Amino acid sequence: MSTTKIPPLLEPYLSLPPEASLILLTSVLGASSNWLVLRHLYSYLRASAGEKGADVGVVLVSFMGDGAFWREGAGRLVSFTHPDNNPGLCGGGSSRLIMSTKGLDLDAMGRNGRFAFVDGLSGLFTGRAADAAGVDRGSRTLRSSETDHVRSEVEAALADLRTGTKVLVIDQLDVLLAASGEDVTSTGLAAMLLSLRERVRATLLTLSADDPLLHAQATTLEREHAALVLGQAHAAGRVMSLRMLDTGTARDVSGVVRITGEGHGEGKEEEEEEEGREYLYFVAGDGSVKVFERGT
Amino acid sequence: MSFRKRNVVIGTPSTAASSLPARQDKTLAPGVRPSPLDGRPTTSTGTPSLDQLLAGHNGFPLGTSLLIQEAGATDFGGTLLRYFAAEGLVQGHHVHLLGYGDAWRRELPGLDTGGKTSRMARKETAADDKMKIAWRYEALGNASSRTTPSRGQGEAQFCHSFDLAKRLESSHIQGKLYTTQVGDAWARPERTPFKDFLAGVAAAVKTTPPNTIHRIIVPGLLSPALYPSAACRPQEVLQFLHGLRALLRRHPSQITALVTLPVSLFPRSTGLNRWMELLSDGVLELIPLQHQSQMALEPGKENKSQGLLRAHSLPVFHEKGGGLEGSWSREDLSFKLSASSGLVITPYSLPPVGEEENASATPKATEGKKDALEF
Repeated sequence: MSTTKIPPLLEPYLSLPPEASLILLTSVLGASSNWLVLRHLYSYLRASAGEKGADVGVVLVSFMGDGAFWREGAGRLVSFTHPDNNPGLCGGGSSRLIMSTKGLDLDAMGRNGRFAFVDGLSGLFTGRAADAAGVDRGSRTLRSSETDHVRSEVEAALADLRTGTKVLVIDQLDVLLAASGEDVTSTGLAAMLLSLRERVRATLLTLSADDPLLHAQATTLEREHAALVLGQAHAAGRVMSLRMLDTGTARDVSGVVRITGEGHGEGKEEEEEEEGREYLYFVAGDGSVKVFERGT
Repeated sequence: MSFRKRNVVIGTPSTAASSLPARQDKTLAPGVRPSPLDGRPTTSTGTPSLDQLLAGHNGFPLGTSLLIQEAGATDFGGTLLRYFAAEGLVQGHHVHLLGYGDAWRRELPGLDTGGKTSRMARKETAADDKMKIAWRYEALGNASSRTTPSRGQGEAQFCHSFDLAKRLESSHIQGKLYTTQVGDAWARPERTPFKDFLAGVAAAVKTTPPNTIHRIIVPGLLSPALYPSAACRPQEVLQFLHGLRALLRRHPSQITALVTLPVSLFPRSTGLNRWMELLSDGVLELIPLQHQSQMALEPGKENKSQGLLRAHSLPVFHEKGGGLEGSWSREDLSFKLSASSGLVITPYSLPPVGEEENASATPKATEGKKDALEF
């Protein structure tokens, strides 16, 4: 019995975005966007060769997660009730083996030219190369935090893709802004993003939208961060914000996702879309996510 | 006696998981056991109640970091760090310390070898009371504290018990302590030790055999007593935490890190603090007693907690976005420090207001006797 990998309520928002669009995902401490990025990846890459929509390639640039984390998450995108789901007995190893053959195999997609990973965690400020194990998977590592270097590496990764349609996903670009000091500014990053967006069909960004980072605006760090996030939020066609429950915690809800911007496809303009929709989501122990409306 | 047998035979995931190291001792390093949730290797923080707190993993997952923020001028976080270091040294792990010199080793709590029999007798009576509750669930929460006395000498212990009144003897130390001092903060305020420290740890991890566990300890990060003023710049401290995260992910089954931060100087409402929290896998906040205005101090009450503890994020759990089957609630927890059992974290409950007026007169005498029994 396999559960659907993409929650049905989110299906319309996860389809391939229109040309030259920007989607922004925001997260806070306690409500991370990793699961939503994985679902977007799955939605773009799930068509196997020969099917309609198979000509889509994705470049994932991550500044907070390494290649192993994303590969494992993508491999787990199938969840089904495995008979020995008791992790204490089998140690989780065997059930993971079965899952990864049916989930997204990012390694194979990398070899086929449909996926490329740019590692912004391992050597961003230290300048050291990643381990040999990472090199042969075809992923690139950012060695310095300069905007020019980042842009050239991402452009090279885009050139690695052998598909007609390309999508760029950048996870937590704000880490680069926050930790680089005066060298990297929000205007510099915005310019870099514009030049990268010209080369791809669509761009997906994740940024942190914590209160202290957006509303305080007393220090340079906070001002630059707010400038980046708010600027991209205005430029984006769709914004999906994740936050924790306002009323505390619950056993079966992990957080709230609020979606504003166009949703159901090109050309449809409904009144209610402008105000945004909110759904509750719950991430279960095996990584599967349920999205439901309030009151259900 | 029958109560003891039932607890062992239950076969709850935690006891099943802790019997796994017996079979896999060749592959798992000492002091490491698989998590009952997803099997990733976990190690003990030295404080059993903190192990229980970490989102169902019953231990500190390897490859993650924990940031402990403390309000005020107290140093409960330092106690947690000392227990963490002592546990690592007793298990044979390599402990890397940033900020102090070798003299820090003399402040570590000693291994609690004596007095086991009296504690086991107390546990028997506690077990008698608790038999009325569903015993199956009782063992689930307290597995680490129950199984250590019953398995004692045969198996490797996951979490040792320490005594703050004693000092850690060199004979008990099986691991190594590497220290990196910050250097003269006054003479050279521009130099920060972060890059050298991370390079040193990375080199140490490369040169030791692949199943040695390393623990990174950073007491009082950015404290002006230790660090120069240049360390507070975002590019210094955030690059350090980013590099630490990268190091942890590069060796995901070998390293853990515990960092404490004085949060009175870097309040949670600032962007820098929030970035430090985002770059760490788990964030706990300790709020000692004098900072709470609402908490009524009733003399002689059982609830002698010394402060509040709040978990803002937990390793692995929040990176996935969730995942524990509904039992992480952001409730407040309280902690209490005692010399014999270290920092004990328990759920925090305010006693009902009506009770204090009636209870104030009579229980003084009985509670005096109760205290005598506790020790």
